[in-house]
Parts: sequence; structure tokens; C-alpha cells
Amino acid sequence: MTTPTALIADDEPLLRERLCTLLQRCWPELEVVAQARNGREAVELFDQHAPQVVFLDVHMPGLNGIEAARSLARRAQLVFVTAFEQYAVQAFEQGAIDYLVKPVEEERLADTVQRLRQQLIRPVPAAPIALEAVLDGLSAELKRRAGAPAGHLQWIKASVGQSVRLIPVEQIAYLRADEKYTLVVWEGGEALIRKTIRELADELDPSRFVQTHRSVIVNLHEVLQVTRGANETAEVQLKGRRELLPVSRSYLHLFRQM
Amino acid sequence: MALPRRRRYRGAMSATLEPAALPERGFNRFVAALSLRGALLAMVLASLAAVLLNPIFVTPFPVLLGRMLVIALLLLLVFTAAGFWSVGWLPRWLVQVLAVVLTAPLATYLVYLPAVQGQVFEVLRHEGRLSGFVLITGTVLVVAPLLALGALYRERDAQARSQALGFALERSQLEKQALDARLKLLHAQIEPHFLFNTLANVQVLVESGSPQASAVLKSLIAYLRAAMPRLADEHATLGDELALVRAYLDLMTMRMPDRLQYEIDVPDDLRGLRFPGMALLTLVENAIRHGIDPAEQGGRVEVQARRNGDGTLTLRVADTGAGLRESAPPGTGLANLRERLVMFYGAAARLEIAENAPRGVLVCMHCPGAIST
Repeated sequence: MTTPTALIADDEPLLRERLCTLLQRCWPELEVVAQARNGREAVELFDQHAPQVVFLDVHMPGLNGIEAARSLARRAQLVFVTAFEQYAVQAFEQGAIDYLVKPVEEERLADTVQRLRQQLIRPVPAAPIALEAVLDGLSAELKRRAGAPAGHLQWIKASVGQSVRLIPVEQIAYLRADEKYTLVVWEGGEALIRKTIRELADELDPSRFVQTHRSVIVNLHEVLQVTRGANETAEVQLKGRRELLPVSRSYLHLFRQM
Repeated sequence: MALPRRRRYRGAMSATLEPAALPERGFNRFVAALSLRGALLAMVLASLAAVLLNPIFVTPFPVLLGRMLVIALLLLLVFTAAGFWSVGWLPRWLVQVLAVVLTAPLATYLVYLPAVQGQVFEVLRHEGRLSGFVLITGTVLVVAPLLALGALYRERDAQARSQALGFALERSQLEKQALDARLKLLHAQIEPHFLFNTLANVQVLVESGSPQASAVLKSLIAYLRAAMPRLADEHATLGDELALVRAYLDLMTMRMPDRLQYEIDVPDDLRGLRFPGMALLTLVENAIRHGIDPAEQGGRVEVQARRNGDGTLTLRVADTGAGLRESAPPGTGLANLRERLVMFYGAAARLEIAENAPRGVLVCMHCPGAIST
């Protein structure tokens, strides 16, 4: 019988070493052939060494453990390691996928080693659809937690003096087209950005930002009052600002209820 | 008391304005806009005009009074209705006054109609009626616009008062926000993911008998003590905050020694300044969580404090990590921090976020009026 081999992937070196040490005790004949610091390295080293078992930390920079597992598919026995991803633990349990919780306890690892040994001697094919479905679900969940996916614009990058400022959109009072550029007026001042009003209208959250005119987008939370003007038009006044912004006929319906 | 009267106005209006033409919602708003006070005032003035005109008229006083009352109420209805009728290029008040002026002769003419059994031209043929018509119209034309302007003035006054109320409301909302910010701090929580990962590392150090273990535990205790839910410490100094930031950065360096370097550069004479607790830590935690942690190669975190020429304090937290995408969630941490800074240093406090060169994020915290303890 050949020597069983394993790969450990974790971004925290002390934790990689600890798992190594524990494995030496619980499974002396296992050879840890490679250690990876992130998901990308894990996939690369897997292709080089083709280990039979892979221990994957869920939370890793760049490619995370779940994404790495998806590209390893069913070419190895997978064991996930997680610190406190409660949703991940639930998903692993539902999908009958092996996992360890950090800090890893020796007794728990011994159980896992027991199962892995049996699998290597007499492989019981796990329901393949279940594994991939669970990983797909988890991957989506992780992305969701990492940040709003393909959401609306939350920051606007604008050159102010020497630096590129990141302006939180909730601080913006209004945006006004200025030829090829757009003037951003916010709490901290004014800046020109290269995006057009049209692009911005598509990217900003429509429940907060409305276009009131061909060349103007207004932050609704900053509106003080809307005054009817001539010819089915109106003017918007913003809180703490003197300038009046135009509302053209085709956008007037936005303020009918206000 | 008010209800039956209102119903009567509605009846009076249906004869003149054809309410079916008005949309239902507009009609209700119109009825709501008719005030009892307005109606009473119109009637009192009409009675006064009738008394004044009585010596000139041959018509018996009750008839004259009746006519004046009908005219006054008609004009009131027209005035109110005109308030809802928007003519794009005319200001609302002008529309209302013009409506009253134009309706005055018509209303006078109308009240004469019953006297001539509806013979439209009879009114103008009879000399007495004609002079009566001219007199009443004249009086109405003088009194009504003045009254209309008076009503508009009062309305503007009411608007000013409602604006003042609005300001008071805004102020109380600000106070509520300040309270909320303190409560949010109470709810600030230690991330379990951070805690368990750190403990797993500490365990390795302890098990291997590393001399580092004790120092790391000390950092963890300092961090946990500071991060426990509690009210803001009024006496916290910048020095206290920096000790906390250092404890946190030491823990993170232990966890990712190959990916994190840090530097704290703060002149000693600034360490005694009063400082809102957790403010700097929030920025440093963000730099790790959103900058260094997601970057495969990691990066460097620099914390710097400087006293400016004008006595204000500027703190900078720079990282060379993954940087910020424009669609990255804004996070409640920064919004809360901004609120707390304004509470602590006043409205001139600023939090500026910029791209760091060549990569990463640079956050500047401008603290005016920094006070030594």
C-alpha cells in the first residue's frame, strides 16, 4: 500500500504547523507533501503533488477555500477547516462534508482521520451532486458576505488636489453634468470626475439618487424643498445649500407626491 | 359644531363650481382648505360693507345684507379654489387675487339676477340696479384683494412657523443621533472569527512552549478589555488608544507574520490628548480586514499622528492592501465613527478617505480642538 499524502492550505502559518503536528500524532504514516498560503497556491500545489487528502481553510485571501475546492472537484478527499463560519458549518453538515473547527481538537481530528483512512482503503462514492451544490451555495454566500455583489455605487473616486478621494455616496448632495465631466458636490467640497451623468444614473442606487434634469442627479435625502416654477418645471433646494437645481418637465412626476 | 357647517359650504359650492369636474382627492383637499375662520371673517366684512352701503341704497337692508353675504362666500370659494389651480407661469398668490378680482363683478351680477327673474339684460337697463351693481362691485374690488393679500400674508407666516418647527425637529433628531451613536458603541462586538482564529494561534504558542506566548496573551487581554461592550471612556487619551491599536496589530502580526508589517509614528507629546476611544482602532481594523487580509501578498499599515500649525490634530491610517472597489459596501463602522467624531470634536471634525499610492487606502482623521487632559 502506498503512503497516503496530504496538502494543507491555511493563510496563518502557525495554524498550518499545528495541523501538521496534530496529524503526525493521529496519522503517523500520512505524508504532508505541501503547504499552501492561499487558495491559488493550493490549486497549484495540488496539480504538482496530486495528494489524496486536502485540508482547506475556508477563509483565505484571493481564492478562498470553497472556490479552491470547486476547482479540485472530486479528485481528492476534502476536509474544510473553519474558525467561526457558522453558515459554512451548517452547509457542511447538511452536505455530509468533512470539516474541522478551529482551534482544532485532537479527538475531533482523530475521528476525521478514521473516516479518511476508510475512504482511502474502500472508497464510498459520496453523492457527487450534493458536494458541488453545497460548494456552489457556500461560494455565493461567501461572496455575499464579502460585499454587495454587483450592487450600486457606494463610493465615488475623484481627484482632489494630489490625491484620489473616495467619497461615500451618502455624502453627495448632487451631481451636475459639465461637458464630458460630472461635477460632484458633497459635504467636503466639489470635484470633477470623468464619468458622465448618464453612467452615474445607471450605477447609483435609484432609491436614493434621482435624475431631475438632463444634467442633474439629486440625493433625495438632501432635498429641503421643491418649488413649482413656470412651464411644468420646478426647482429643488437642498439642505444647507443656496443653489437651486432644475427639475425639467419629464422628471417633475418624481415630486408629485412630495 | 364645525361639521354641519362644512357640509353647507359643500352644498353652496356644488351650485357654482361643478365638483364633478374636480378629481375626488382634489375636492377633499379643497374642502379641508376651507376654514371656519375664513368663512366667518368673510361674512363679518360683508355685513360691515352692507351697513356702510345701506344709506346710499334704496333696497331694504336685509336684501342688501343677503346679497353682500352671498358675494362674500362666493369669493371665498373662488379664492380657495384658485389656490389649487396651478398656472405654470403665474405665482399662486397672483392667480388667487386675480380670480377674486375677476369674479367680483360676475358674483355681483349673479346676485342681481333673482331680482329680475333671470332676465339677463334687465339688470343693466334699470338705473338703480346699475348704480347698485357698480357700487357693490367697486366696494368688493377694493376690499376683496386687500383681504386676499392679508390671507396670503398669514399663510406665509404659518409657513415660517412650520419651518421653525422643522428646525426644532431637526435639532432633536441630531440629539437622538448622538445618543444612537453611543448605544451603537455599546453594541460593538468582538468578531468571533477573529477571536477563535487568534485563540487557535495562542494555543500553538502555548503548546510549543514559545516564549512569545505570554506577550501575545497580554495583547489579547488588552484588546478584549478595550473591545468589550461599554460606554465611551470620557478620560481616554490618544496614548490609551495607541496601546490598544498596538495590541491589535501585534495579534495580527502573529497571525500573518509573512503578510503584515506595521509602523506607529506618534510624537510623545500628543499621547496625553483626550481621544474618543475605539476611533483609531476602527480605522486600523478596517485597514486589516478590507486591505491586508484580502491581499495574497498582504501589505503594510502605517499609523501617524501630527499636530498641525493651527493646533488641530491629524491622524492618518494608511495601508498598502487590496484597496477599495467603488461598489464596496460602505460599512456602518465608518458612518458611526463619523458621528462620534462630530460629537467629540464638533462639526468641523472630518474623516477623509483616499487612495494610497501605489495601492491601498489612506484615511485621514482631522480633529479640531484637541484637548490635553
